[in-house]
Amino acid sequence: MRFDISEDQQLLRDATRDFLAGECPMEAARRLAEESDEGYSADHWAKLAELGYLGLVAGEQAGGQGMGAVELVIVAEEMGRACFPGPYLDVVVAARALELAERDSVAADIAAGKLTVVLATRDTVWPGESGGATFADGRVTGSKAFVPFAASADKLLVTTDKGLALVDGPFRLDAMTTMDEATRFARVNFDNTAELLGDNALVEKANELGTIGSAAMALGVCQVTLEMTVEYTREREAFGRPIATFQALQHRMADMLLRAEGSRSLVYRAAWALDAGQSEAALMLGSAKAWAAESALANSRECLQMHGGNGFTWEYSVHRYLKLAGTLDQFNGARDEMLESALLAAEELASENAAGKAATG
Amino acid sequence: MDLGFSTEHEKFRSELRAWLSDNLEQSWSESLRDRGNDEHALIELRRQWQRRMYQGGYLGMRWPAEWGGRGATEVEEAILAQEIALADAPPILNALGLGLCAPALIHHGSEEQRRRFIPPMLNADEIWCQGFSEPGAGSDLASLRLKAVVDGDFFVLNGQKCWTTYGPWGDWIFVLARNDAEDRYGGISFILVDLRNTEGVEVRPLKQITGESEFGEVFFDNARVPRSQLVGETGQGWKIAMTVLGYERGGATLGPATELGTDLFALLRTCRELGITDTASRAKLGLLVAEWQVLMANGYRTLAGLSEGNAPGPESSIQKLVWSELDQRLRATAIELLGPGAQLSRHDPSARTDVDWSRNYLWARAETIFSGSSEIQRNIIAKRVLGLPQA
Repeated sequence: MRFDISEDQQLLRDATRDFLAGECPMEAARRLAEESDEGYSADHWAKLAELGYLGLVAGEQAGGQGMGAVELVIVAEEMGRACFPGPYLDVVVAARALELAERDSVAADIAAGKLTVVLATRDTVWPGESGGATFADGRVTGSKAFVPFAASADKLLVTTDKGLALVDGPFRLDAMTTMDEATRFARVNFDNTAELLGDNALVEKANELGTIGSAAMALGVCQVTLEMTVEYTREREAFGRPIATFQALQHRMADMLLRAEGSRSLVYRAAWALDAGQSEAALMLGSAKAWAAESALANSRECLQMHGGNGFTWEYSVHRYLKLAGTLDQFNGARDEMLESALLAAEELASENAAGKAATG
Repeated sequence: MDLGFSTEHEKFRSELRAWLSDNLEQSWSESLRDRGNDEHALIELRRQWQRRMYQGGYLGMRWPAEWGGRGATEVEEAILAQEIALADAPPILNALGLGLCAPALIHHGSEEQRRRFIPPMLNADEIWCQGFSEPGAGSDLASLRLKAVVDGDFFVLNGQKCWTTYGPWGDWIFVLARNDAEDRYGGISFILVDLRNTEGVEVRPLKQITGESEFGEVFFDNARVPRSQLVGETGQGWKIAMTVLGYERGGATLGPATELGTDLFALLRTCRELGITDTASRAKLGLLVAEWQVLMANGYRTLAGLSEGNAPGPESSIQKLVWSELDQRLRATAIELLGPGAQLSRHDPSARTDVDWSRNYLWARAETIFSGSSEIQRNIIAKRVLGLPQA
């Protein structure tokens, strides 16, 4: 048994960390998130394509690297740490979905950075609203909400009443702003030509990667907010000593560590299980996403609290993590849905053997 | 990364599973529910069961061959703990002796001590108690005051131990005693005491919140103990105790987590059966499932590290905290979701027969206190993992 990643995987982690530190330090990430129209850098994207990151998990025949969930988790964890702006996971998932739909050449264009495609799967903003997309006669009509970085997309992968459709741009869209200024969501109103690719379930399979990738970004947030808190409380003095010496804060930082380490164990184990085709992967995936995102939220709130008034300022970057954690918690598998899916998987195991022989998961 | 079990491990598991199903006549839950079984009868059941486990070759699997060892690894030890939990077998009666005292004897004791004490410990002929905690020394264990003064070939012991598990049934106890009041850590010795045949030793049962008395208090009043029952050298007691506390690690990675999982599964089935399927309840159950997965994933991660020969670090603090606090939440949530019926004691004819929720709910309160309280574990994490400056 081995939990540690391989040497090659370690190289991937180091290279990703170096790339992000060199190309997109926090000031640059914030400038892109807060000031640019696109919300990310075309230059970064060209480099990501060149280095093979956009096709990380696509097969070689689809212009990809053929890597697995563990490698994606390694990259996404670093992106979470860096608050790296842009639709990285969305694009990776779209490429994977296209590969599953046997559209290798389209996936290859995505991997090469020639084409930007993201998923549009959410019908409405609120429960009870009407919405959604329909396919007829080679066209998609209707609307989708919370489409990430839609303004930058050349094509969209859209779930419709007839199945998954690859819809051609340009798109008519209304920007949707959220509390996280790094997001670039839009409501897309369709009347566009499209090609039907197959069953909507293709997206579900590809979305596993988006889900574990988001969980890994949340892990990155958990870890970096812990590190920021430890560093700050060691420096900051009150009553004549560093506030890190106060047991009231030490125990809260210990809890932050429990969340970060628990998320690490869970996210990497779930990724390993996905790659190894383990039967309990669904149980782990739902648990990992729900737990890591909730932990990222809790750790960024604690980070803010222990930064005191400074943490509430725009200047300090603590709020970037709080907001990113909120986005991760609600998208690519909202927490409630993830907990329900983990619960369903556990119930299935529990009923399969009333004696509980499966509780080794 | 590879968090799966090897073919040999799976073979070990399936042989063990077959052995358990051949040898376990009644599940531990059933034995507990049987009104005919008082506390003494349950101890005897566990004595018999431990003997059978020993004869089956499943005790001391990682020890030297002459003491029952079979060259087993941490991973096999973890599988054993998992399968015992899944089979709902009685807990090993001499767990503290086998887990702490035997390793102390194997690594620090004399050959004569090993020959005298290990075989009857394995066969459950002699039940061992742990004598570390005192009324004035709990979390701050090194402040212990049980006094040991040399008088010829004897130590004369004066003082008190408490929270002595199995005290009322104990035959022997291994104590940490203070031989030097000035030397906080270097003035402690590891001494074996005959609880039944030493004048001046008295064991009183300690009734706990569940109404049971599995703990006791032990009083030492000029108790004379032969110096041949000292383990290691005078003043080595603290070092020995700290070393042996780190020995039996494999089982701790997955055993308690698996046991928790079987009760969680029982709760899931019961909620389904009783129609407790509203959104709020399912959200609570879902969170328990996710937290259980954290516990399992931490366990597999630690086990993987042990199997690669990594020295165990402060992970044990993390796992102790996560397990104990989740176990309490599981039981509190069960009591909350299942309603008035979960208040029933296990002997009530209307009680459900899957899990004894009321008793276990009460018992779980001990889990964040024993073996290093949650507060102590958080101190350890703050200091040793996060490296935070001390006041």
